Amino acid sequence: MKSHDDAPDQQLDDLDFEILDGIRALFERVDPMPAGLPGRVRFALAMRGLESEVARLVTEEDPRLVGARGTERSRTVTFDSASLSIVIRIEENKNGSVRIDGWLAPPQPREIEMQTSDETLSVSSDDQGRFAFAEVPQGTARLVVVGTAARDQGAGGPSVVTPALVL
Amino acid sequence: MDEATSVTAPPERTDRSDRAARMADLLDAAKGGSEEALGQITAELSPMLWHVARAAGLGADDAEDVVQTAWERLLSHLADIRVPQALIGWLVVTTKHEAWRIRSSGRRQRPADQEWLTALPDHAAGTEEQIILDEQQRALWRAVGRLSAQCQELLRIVAFVPRPDYQSVSAALGMPVGSVGPTRGRCLQKIRVLLADELDGRRA
Repeated sequence: MKSHDDAPDQQLDDLDFEILDGIRALFERVDPMPAGLPGRVRFALAMRGLESEVARLVTEEDPRLVGARGTERSRTVTFDSASLSIVIRIEENKNGSVRIDGWLAPPQPREIEMQTSDETLSVSSDDQGRFAFAEVPQGTARLVVVGTAARDQGAGGPSVVTPALVL
Repeated sequence: MDEATSVTAPPERTDRSDRAARMADLLDAAKGGSEEALGQITAELSPMLWHVARAAGLGADDAEDVVQTAWERLLSHLADIRVPQALIGWLVVTTKHEAWRIRSSGRRQRPADQEWLTALPDHAAGTEEQIILDEQQRALWRAVGRLSAQCQELLRIVAFVPRPDYQSVSAALGMPVGSVGPTRGRCLQKIRVLLADELDGRRA
């Protein structure tokens, strides 16, 4: 039995396709993509490095703080990859989101992304390798230390991606 | 010999499935670390993403940024794109989300107005800056201009999606899987009416 799902374009007829092709042709003429864009994209991607390291979860502690029962909880998670160690402390905010403080070792300024299911938050670490996300929605997320091209002076390196974290 | 089967230009239909197979190969190669393969994918799909970003109402500079960001995001998500059919949907949705994020961040004060709609002069003949279109194209352009902003955006995106990927993209954009979706159906229905009206109007 043939369901609708088997025939996604069932309702589109030749005129629809003709109209869509016409719209495409119009926009290609009226508002074309700047010719240099693919080259710039390529350059940016090459800078960033295609290979990313996957960081491994090393330790996870969940010390419920005594004396502040139910209001303050934090845990510390450590990840290791070939080029970096990442330690993060996850603390619950009053509004239900979490705060994340992190450190990179060896310490270095890098661009750091927190990828949640809905959005990607972006911060930078300082010279000491410290970084913080003040408010991250609860849920699943992962951390990406964005790769850099320059690997001089021992700083920088490929992207490092952590496994998914449940915040 | 096999001259008949070797180098003759393939018909369009074969072209499409060849394209899908080629994209699958490129995606595998990119996952394996080939920057060349990734470069080919970006060359092929960046125009589509440009139109997604512009359709969302972004200015040219922001649209470029957003396209670039979408590709950068793809790098850290490559492993998640298990089937090549998912690639285009993922890119379109990521570009659209990123465009929304920039729009709502208030970084640019340009409202939702579609600046490109005014890019086309109203009369065919004129200065060298103007784009010459035939009567049919002009009617289509005017019909597009009479659509709601939502329909303009949707049809512009869909027009740039390769046909075999309509389904995955419509699903990714939150339209019902397995149909063209009520919104797209409605938008196509509307433009048919508007187009007929424009063509009639010129004849009258």
